[in-house]
Amino acid sequence: MPERTMIGAVLVVGGGISGMQAALDLADSGYFVYLVEKTGAIGGAMPQYNKVFPTNDCAMCIISPKLVECGRHPNIRIMTLSTVIDITGKAGNFTVRVLEHPRYVDPAKCIACGQCSSRCPRSVDDSFNIFMAKRKAIYIKYPQAVPLKYQIDPEACIRLQHPEKCGICAEICPPGAIDFTDLGREHDLRVGAVIMALGFQPFDPGKTRAWGYGLYPNVVTSLQFERFLSPGGPTGGVLARPSDRKPVQRIAFLQCVGSRDRNRCNNEYCSTVCCMYAIKEALTIKEAYPEVEVTIFYMDMRTPGKEFERYYERARTEYGVRFVRSRIHGVEPKGNKGDLRLHYINAHGKQVEETVDLVVLSVGLETPDAMVRLAEKIGIHMTPDRFASISAFMPVHTSQKGIFTCGAFNGPRDIPQSVIGGSAAAASVSALLNPVRHTQTRTLPPPPEQDVSRQEPRIGVFICHCGTNIAGVVDVEEVAAYAATLPQVAHVARNLFTCSQDTQDLMVQQISDKGLNRIVVAACTPRTHEPLFRKTLKSAGINEYLIEMANIRNQNAWVHGQEPETATAKAKDLVRMAVAKVRRQTARKPLRIPITPSVLVIGGGVAGMTAALNLAEQGYRIHLTEKTTQLGGNALHLYQTWNGEHVPRFLKELKEAVQQHPRIEVSYTSTVAAVSGHVGNFTTLIRTGSSRKRTIDHGAVIIATGAKRYIPEEFEYGKIPKVVASIEFDKLHMHNETRVANGKSFVFIQCVGSRTQERPYCSKSCCTHSIQSAIKLKKEAPSRQIYILYREIRTYGQRERIYNQAREMGIVFINYEQHGPPRIRRADSGVLVEVWDHVLHRPLEIRADMVILAAATLANPEAVALANMFKLPLSKDGFFQEAHAKLRPVEFHVDGVFVAGLAHYPKPLEESISQALAAAAKAGRLLARKEIALEPNIALVDPERCDDCALCIDVCPYRAIKLAEYRDSEGTLRTTVTVDRVLCKGCGICQGTCPKRGIDVAGFTTAQIEAQIDAALESPAPEGAI
Amino acid sequence: MIYETKVNDLAEEFGVHRNTIRNWINSGVLPAQEGPGRRYLIQWEDYKRLCDKYNREPRFVPDVAAAGESAAAPRSPVSAPVPVRLGVKTNPLHTSPALADICLTCGSCAGACPIAGVDDLDPRKIVRMAFLGLEEELVASGWPWKCTLCGKCEAVCPMNVEIVQLLRQIRARCERDKIPAAIRKGVVTCLEKGNNLGIPKDDFLALAREMGEELAQTSCPGFVTPIDARGARLLVTVNSKLPFAEPEAMTWWWKILYAAGESWTISSEYWEGLNWGLHAGDYSAMRTIVKRIIDNIERLNCTALLLPECGHAYYATRYALERWFPESLQQFKMYTVFDLLLEYLNEGRIRLDPASQTKLTTFHDSCHYGRHSLKTFGHGYFEEARTLTRACCTRYVDLVPDREEGYCCGAGGGAWADPFGAERVFHGRIKARQIGASGAKLVVTSCINCRDQIRFSLNREFNLNVEVQFLWELVANALSMTPQGGNEARHA
Repeated sequence: MPERTMIGAVLVVGGGISGMQAALDLADSGYFVYLVEKTGAIGGAMPQYNKVFPTNDCAMCIISPKLVECGRHPNIRIMTLSTVIDITGKAGNFTVRVLEHPRYVDPAKCIACGQCSSRCPRSVDDSFNIFMAKRKAIYIKYPQAVPLKYQIDPEACIRLQHPEKCGICAEICPPGAIDFTDLGREHDLRVGAVIMALGFQPFDPGKTRAWGYGLYPNVVTSLQFERFLSPGGPTGGVLARPSDRKPVQRIAFLQCVGSRDRNRCNNEYCSTVCCMYAIKEALTIKEAYPEVEVTIFYMDMRTPGKEFERYYERARTEYGVRFVRSRIHGVEPKGNKGDLRLHYINAHGKQVEETVDLVVLSVGLETPDAMVRLAEKIGIHMTPDRFASISAFMPVHTSQKGIFTCGAFNGPRDIPQSVIGGSAAAASVSALLNPVRHTQTRTLPPPPEQDVSRQEPRIGVFICHCGTNIAGVVDVEEVAAYAATLPQVAHVARNLFTCSQDTQDLMVQQISDKGLNRIVVAACTPRTHEPLFRKTLKSAGINEYLIEMANIRNQNAWVHGQEPETATAKAKDLVRMAVAKVRRQTARKPLRIPITPSVLVIGGGVAGMTAALNLAEQGYRIHLTEKTTQLGGNALHLYQTWNGEHVPRFLKELKEAVQQHPRIEVSYTSTVAAVSGHVGNFTTLIRTGSSRKRTIDHGAVIIATGAKRYIPEEFEYGKIPKVVASIEFDKLHMHNETRVANGKSFVFIQCVGSRTQERPYCSKSCCTHSIQSAIKLKKEAPSRQIYILYREIRTYGQRERIYNQAREMGIVFINYEQHGPPRIRRADSGVLVEVWDHVLHRPLEIRADMVILAAATLANPEAVALANMFKLPLSKDGFFQEAHAKLRPVEFHVDGVFVAGLAHYPKPLEESISQALAAAAKAGRLLARKEIALEPNIALVDPERCDDCALCIDVCPYRAIKLAEYRDSEGTLRTTVTVDRVLCKGCGICQGTCPKRGIDVAGFTTAQIEAQIDAALESPAPEGAI
Repeated sequence: MIYETKVNDLAEEFGVHRNTIRNWINSGVLPAQEGPGRRYLIQWEDYKRLCDKYNREPRFVPDVAAAGESAAAPRSPVSAPVPVRLGVKTNPLHTSPALADICLTCGSCAGACPIAGVDDLDPRKIVRMAFLGLEEELVASGWPWKCTLCGKCEAVCPMNVEIVQLLRQIRARCERDKIPAAIRKGVVTCLEKGNNLGIPKDDFLALAREMGEELAQTSCPGFVTPIDARGARLLVTVNSKLPFAEPEAMTWWWKILYAAGESWTISSEYWEGLNWGLHAGDYSAMRTIVKRIIDNIERLNCTALLLPECGHAYYATRYALERWFPESLQQFKMYTVFDLLLEYLNEGRIRLDPASQTKLTTFHDSCHYGRHSLKTFGHGYFEEARTLTRACCTRYVDLVPDREEGYCCGAGGGAWADPFGAERVFHGRIKARQIGASGAKLVVTSCINCRDQIRFSLNREFNLNVEVQFLWELVANALSMTPQGGNEARHA
């Protein structure tokens, strides 16, 4: 594609979390993004969830900032109620025809006042609440929707169905935004690339009567249950039986409804996420209602992700969630009071009948028919499981060049994998369209900032309901009334969700209308939400640091849920303290420094090479360090991916591409010896061989240091030569060594070193790996007997196909969880394996020619040193701990450092590649900014008070403070300390140490903190004063 | 240790009726002593034995036993059973991966099976044993005969393992002198004498004529039992149980055929409407019996066939026709009872009076007309049955669950004739519970085994106190016979 015809704009189809992530990464990397969403608002499925696993964060609270960010990004154009009809052209230059369906409300005019909805006479079932609540014919999808614009459901609207009737909304709409004559329109968009983030739909269990869904009211889907648990849901988060609103005593979760089933549906694959969300929902119940009996009926608990196994274990042991390995065949009513009967066979093979109050069907994920048709039309190949067909080596590339995919459309996956996919797709687009970066984007200069330093403080207090999170406990009206009585408070407002798009606009308006110059937001934590509000202040034309947040949710409503009165009193205290502090807040300017446009990639495995290659294609210089003498890492031991792609060939090509790329420099036998600097400007000392050292300047770092394998101590490994580890076996198999070639009977043992007390995590790829080896053995000689002894088969996603294939070929799977691990002993010419059968509960004796141990993947012990140098946290298992398991899966709290591959957690090749691309996207997004604004919340020295005792120098963990000489006003040479603005992180240790109050962290000055403490100790004004 | 319990509690625990528990106690199956407050005292060992028999988790475990069990690790060398040796061997049961290999061992089948646990076996274990090559043990087991081949297991299997097919194969591999005597005898007699009960031709013909005369006198003027009526449209078979024990039951169909003005006939030879070759796993017998019917149709120049009484007979005949005589299916039409009755009703050839039946009525699905037909032939006769039943009664209620998810009466697959009475009743407990829960006073069904099991066995064992009718009995009683004599005209 000649560069002059390339277009620096991208179409992202699907406004779920994956599409949003792709859009944000691209828009920040210099591309204009059209974000096309078929419903009336972006957000996808995530806003419907109550919490997310394994962090138990409130789903709405963590997605809301991203929604707003998309909503106000100058380089993202959100097109709602829109569908893609056709795509023509080729990579670099596509024309996309988009059909925008009528909204019947002019978004430019709608102020989301909600009058239309409150007066609309027509109520219909609300699909956002899975038909358990009502909404009006004119509605917003959910309260925090972006864009927050009303829409009319033409099927439900009386006026649109009967042109002579109703029309109330049009009569009362204050800005006159209603337009019944609205027609759909078509747009032709010119873009250089397309990302398909088409998402999924939950399986409909009403397709068969067996589960009683739609027949018995107390059978609900997991998504409905999620709405029940949600504070914004139809019951306000209170759990009650749908049939009679009685409290629930016994709940049963039925797993694999609409997954791993070729009988009642055609979804043979595993939906990947259901085990974890069922545990999450069970935990949520147990936390709120410890007396409720919760049982999860499952086939295999599939918790292979990071910290998933611990979550599972915690549910089982700490919370008393009961797990029963039995697939429930159907649900029947018991009596006519709404009770439900389950009949099943327990782990001991005994018949059990149980009565429960509520059955939750853990429904699977599937691609909607319309999306399959769209894919077919565009010519994207699909898998038999109806997901986009992708190569493990190019996990976000479709069969059409220039069209990428991410999210659950690539196969069922959870939020982090979808976020990673979104970023990975963005990285791939960035590499493709690099020549036309910044050609379609625009930068909006922020409004001029007014100087408020000489103004009297006029404080605005914004109190958040957070749905019912806060308002359900705290009397927010009372807090608001109280806030209005505080000195210098000029304005108080309450909002359902202060972080929602409409409230942001409102705040800007009120700041200018009321002349506010200090802002208090009484809501949640500054950690997740302060950046959002700072941007709001900025767009209102006041300095972004003139804000203080009072955390009346996490530190108040959530922990004092049972004591609303004291919680209200505490909320008042917190608001009073925040007002006292913000009064003394001063304007600050961030320090802007240029970014070094190069990246250090540590680790020359597939993850490292993939990230390096992508960033090099994005135009940046890469330094790749590899501690051994060759590139390839752990993939050098791999033969094929789960769907049979040949790894050595791919690896060879990747190595060559990396080695030949002009912008990539590879250092072999090299390790990182020392690091200094910070985001945008790192200086790293690389040691090559035993002596040679050199210094590299770079703007970002990607850590891809891989993992190592466990050397088994069990199962006579190392004592009987016919017992080998799976990686060794692969080598023997590849060379058709005699033990393999002549073997008639093979036994694979799973979970060797994984999921133990010492290592309570799953190594994620071993089930798939063993099954593949087994299939290969069986294909070579069908008469071979092959046994796989396992605890849980974790062929998640479409890998389930190879599990099915293996069984179809006659490979025997034996579960040893219940009766204990197999025993191995030497027999005359082979090995005898004793194990108990989990179905017959009888001992089996297998004469094996070889025993193959699926050994665990361990964290790289060298990670510790690296983590110390970059000040990064490691998980309990020794893997690098990302900033946020859900939404920041490749980032750290230390800016400019990213992680990918096995260094993060054991994972299969395709996930390493995705993550590497995602890390590249993040690094690319950072470097695209060209300069970086450093946080100005740093230590400031008052030379008048400083008596150069230098105590602060010793305690500073960042070596940011130095002694310096200066001449005072009288010309005397004196010593004081100076703070390096770049190195200082504003931790405040110096401030606490200084005996003379000579050093203060901006925004947290001693005077501010004292004011806060005084305010805390002050008794609130008596009731009468209000 | 003594387990102290009430009959009601024990009945609930085992899912059977209290009468059944009393029967067990009285017959000594469950040794128990009467105790205070209408309680029974049962020795722990006896209770445990009963739990083991039905493979149920005991509700009551004395501390001593619990301690003993946990102390006795499953692998203590003294008690460890002989291990099953797995190795390279051929497995004759194992003809297709769909029969066992693909099994996920998820337990759906074992949870759905009403007799799972009996003899410590269940469908999942059967599949597993077949898969692991324990063929001899399987063939020697009584379980495949206690199983009614109802197919509930198969219907719920997420992997579509052909469990019923596997069980039929196990039955087929059983030595002929080891299979239940009644089944064996039925097949042998049918092959030798033309019908399962060996009724001589002359006796049958005399009885048929006599019953026809009676019918003509009571309700169908001019009726003559059509025997070997060459050129009649419809050939109708007769279940040998009816002429043997319940001859008037034959006339319900006759009355309907008369009312509809059907041109039909019974064959004087090989009129049997049963096909126990299916139950016996004897495919050659099954084929022979079906071939006789085909010969009758050709001999009498008929164009349609009705097997009126039995679900399995329809299934076996249709199955055999499709498998061995596909060309015959082109030559004549094979009706189910539902097809034919609905045809009459829809064409206005019969009229039904719903007011003829005012009891709360329900329909019990025969596994062969329902689930098996759906799976094998692509259509289960669920809705047809309900349309017809509703046309004959004023108040109707469905059993829950029913249709594809319905439960077997407990007497299918030849079990009514088998010697495993206790298991058959145990199996039927779910059907009894369903009927009880529905509140129905009349149960309608389309299969003679279902009818007999509910009417004679479950009624008594579970105090159901319901009336049970064939669908065609219900229809025959609801017929509005035209006084104008239009029917007669057509017969003439």
